[in-house]
Amino acid sequence: MILLFVPSVAFGHVGSPNVYFDADAGPYHLLFTVIPPAMVPGVALVQVRVTSGTVNSIGIAPVYVNGKDQGVPPAADMMDPVPGDPQSFTGKVWMMESGAWEVRAEVSGTQGVGKVAVPVPAFARRTLPMQKALGVLLFGLMLVLSIGIISIAGAAAREGVVRPGAEPLPRQRRLGKIAMAVAAAFVLAILALGNWWWNAQAADLKQTMLYSAPPVRVSFDGGDLLTLRMDENFWHKIRKEQWSMNLIPDHGHIMHLFLLRVPAMDRFYHLHPEQANDGSFLVKLPPLSAGSYKIFADIVRGTGFPETMVSEINLPDVAGVPLSGDDSGVDASAFNSAGQTTDVSQLADGSRIVWEHDGSALKPNQVSWFRFRMDDANGKPAADLEPYMGMAGHAAFVRSDQAVFAHIHPAGSVPMASVMIVQTGGGMAMDHNSPQALPAEVSFPYGFPQPGDYRLFVQIKRHGRVETGVFDTHLGN
Amino acid sequence: MAESARIPIVAPSVSREWSSANVSAIPWYVWSSVLAVTSTTVGLYWDISWHIGIGRDTFWTPAHLAIQFGAVLTGLSCAYLILHTTFAGDPAVKEASVKMWGFRGPLGAFIAAWGGFCMLTSAPFDNWWHDSFGLDVKILSPPHVVLIVGIFVMGLGGIILTTGRMNLATGETREKLSWFLLYSGSLLLCLLFMLSYEYVGDQTLMHSAIYYRALGMVAPVVLVGIGRASGRRWAATILAATYTGLWLAGNWIFPLFPAHAKLGPVFTPITHMVPLGFPVLLLPGAIALDFVFNWLADRGGFWKSAIGGSVFMVTSVAVNWPFAYFMMSPHARNWVFAMNEFGYSFAPSDYHLAWELHAYEQTRAEFWVGMVIALVATMISVRLGLLWGDWMRRICR
Repeated sequence: MILLFVPSVAFGHVGSPNVYFDADAGPYHLLFTVIPPAMVPGVALVQVRVTSGTVNSIGIAPVYVNGKDQGVPPAADMMDPVPGDPQSFTGKVWMMESGAWEVRAEVSGTQGVGKVAVPVPAFARRTLPMQKALGVLLFGLMLVLSIGIISIAGAAAREGVVRPGAEPLPRQRRLGKIAMAVAAAFVLAILALGNWWWNAQAADLKQTMLYSAPPVRVSFDGGDLLTLRMDENFWHKIRKEQWSMNLIPDHGHIMHLFLLRVPAMDRFYHLHPEQANDGSFLVKLPPLSAGSYKIFADIVRGTGFPETMVSEINLPDVAGVPLSGDDSGVDASAFNSAGQTTDVSQLADGSRIVWEHDGSALKPNQVSWFRFRMDDANGKPAADLEPYMGMAGHAAFVRSDQAVFAHIHPAGSVPMASVMIVQTGGGMAMDHNSPQALPAEVSFPYGFPQPGDYRLFVQIKRHGRVETGVFDTHLGN
Repeated sequence: MAESARIPIVAPSVSREWSSANVSAIPWYVWSSVLAVTSTTVGLYWDISWHIGIGRDTFWTPAHLAIQFGAVLTGLSCAYLILHTTFAGDPAVKEASVKMWGFRGPLGAFIAAWGGFCMLTSAPFDNWWHDSFGLDVKILSPPHVVLIVGIFVMGLGGIILTTGRMNLATGETREKLSWFLLYSGSLLLCLLFMLSYEYVGDQTLMHSAIYYRALGMVAPVVLVGIGRASGRRWAATILAATYTGLWLAGNWIFPLFPAHAKLGPVFTPITHMVPLGFPVLLLPGAIALDFVFNWLADRGGFWKSAIGGSVFMVTSVAVNWPFAYFMMSPHARNWVFAMNEFGYSFAPSDYHLAWELHAYEQTRAEFWVGMVIALVATMISVRLGLLWGDWMRRICR
């Protein structure tokens, strides 16, 4: 038996924190972008683009989802229309705790009022180093205040009680000097204490607030069984009482596991482990070639808080079991690092998936629709597409260094399990989940978080078989 | 003048020789200082109420502006006073000043300016702290401590500025300045009780030693220090009564203004600004303290501290202990006692927790150790007040 252990690498949602969500609010169709705060508590920026209907105003309010009594949302804030674009709005909501939130939106327009809730995970991603200029300013202010208080102590002891017009006596001058020495010692002690306290506070906040994904241990039994054992870290431990850490299925699966051979990114598998009684996740691998595989494991907590655990494992050639059910995968060419965009992915049966991009340059953090069309072997738009795990398609956006990994659906970046939890206000995510006659085109709203070279894996189901298209692109600054 | 004949002024000759000609009216900077401390104190009350009821804020909330207005007013007026004394002041004014860094000005002006400067320093520090470590989750973060230190030093500077002028004045001017001093002292009490709000603002702790430890530490030093500097026989009583009146005014005026919770989840709907709760029953202890000090006028500091501290604590416990039962009862759930006022984050299912006395100390032994600490802390606080007050009585610059 071969047993390979690789320690997990903790990435918070793998470098793509923004929420993109395409939804209906009553008669209106909206595309939400939510930029969660980098530190919690913090302020999330909400952007809405109205794609159908005429909207006059949108009120937004944040609600913390803890699986318990949610109280009522605070008074809604009206979003501001974007100057020059009356059907785009921006607003802010405060998120005071780490965990699952929903942004409830009430949309008013010519067709009445519509409501929708957007699931937003909030977690602290970074602390901010002090900018040099601010550091210099604060240090200067500290020096002035320190020297100032020493001088004041000296003046108070030397002259404070000397009658007007009189000169301080030698004894009082001496007293002044003693007071300055005592004050200097006091200031130094306070500064030392303050420095210690500051560091302790900062360290405490970093430990309690900064998110890291749960550690995961991955092992391979030498045959075809891959086992993942999820642990919990401090961040999760201290929040257990606050909200549910139980896992809930997303698209009917407790975990979505992605295996990506690195660095070529030429093998991609989307598998669905089962959870054993001891809590571990087990999956039989398909036939795959030896190599180093990056592992991304998506789970959703009971409150709708999604997490992606990251690990890596070296695997030998695996005879494996054929892909079945919702499991899927693809053998692709090595990643094209030349910065060229590929817009056609040829499939084995002669059909192909075409990326219908308009050629305009993509920009970081700017939401775009990524549209893909499935053509049959005759080059005609395919008429036999089926829902794949309830969706018109699934896509994974991966940067060449795997520092960015995002699992996207036609409704956006939010797991459907999270959407189901917050959909109490009548709004519906656009899951394009019609059981029959799916159009040949599938669209995903997404914005790359950072510049770089990306590979896109687009998965569409066609008469019982999941096809995976592979596209490369480059995103400049 | 109502000054006690039994408390001698340390520098009476100075005031007679110098003051009558030079301190004949309330100087503008005393007005300015009192206005600044008032603004900051009201701002702080407002800010706490804001966080309880509305929740969310920016740097530009009226509460923050009121706090920082005090800093700016103090900074500007003290800077002007110092520059004017240094470069354009008449010789008599210069003679009643201290020298620092080549500048001349009243001692209190330097102290208050330092406090204002410290408060302003906290603003960019706090802003960065929010960006780096998140918006406020606790009151005592490093930048907030810088702000709080600044506020207290600014208030202290104002008090010393007033005291310095008062010690040089006679007659009606001195009388008026002593009222200014007492008013500033009562604001200092308000600030200290806001700082220790976690304990003395929680009526459910009125049967816990921690409540009396906090009370014994913060109140007597001000009651005795400012009281002694003012030279009035019933100064502690006046200070406590003014503090109680100001706090009650806050409790009764703020709720007249509408407010809505801006942070969720909202468990208690907010319709108006939330008051900070009934003030600490400080008055009986203060009256007892005045009695003891008038009785022990000729005794040394040790006896004043030991007996004064003990009487203050015993009286405070004797009054607050039974008062706690009333505060927990339905009779206190009205606008006068504000026990029916809750912040947005307080769930109705938890209201009962605010109406039940809680033991902060886990065991009886812990409680009694805490009470002994409270008693000793009160005595030390009285002693510090005596030292501070005696020093202030001698300030004449």
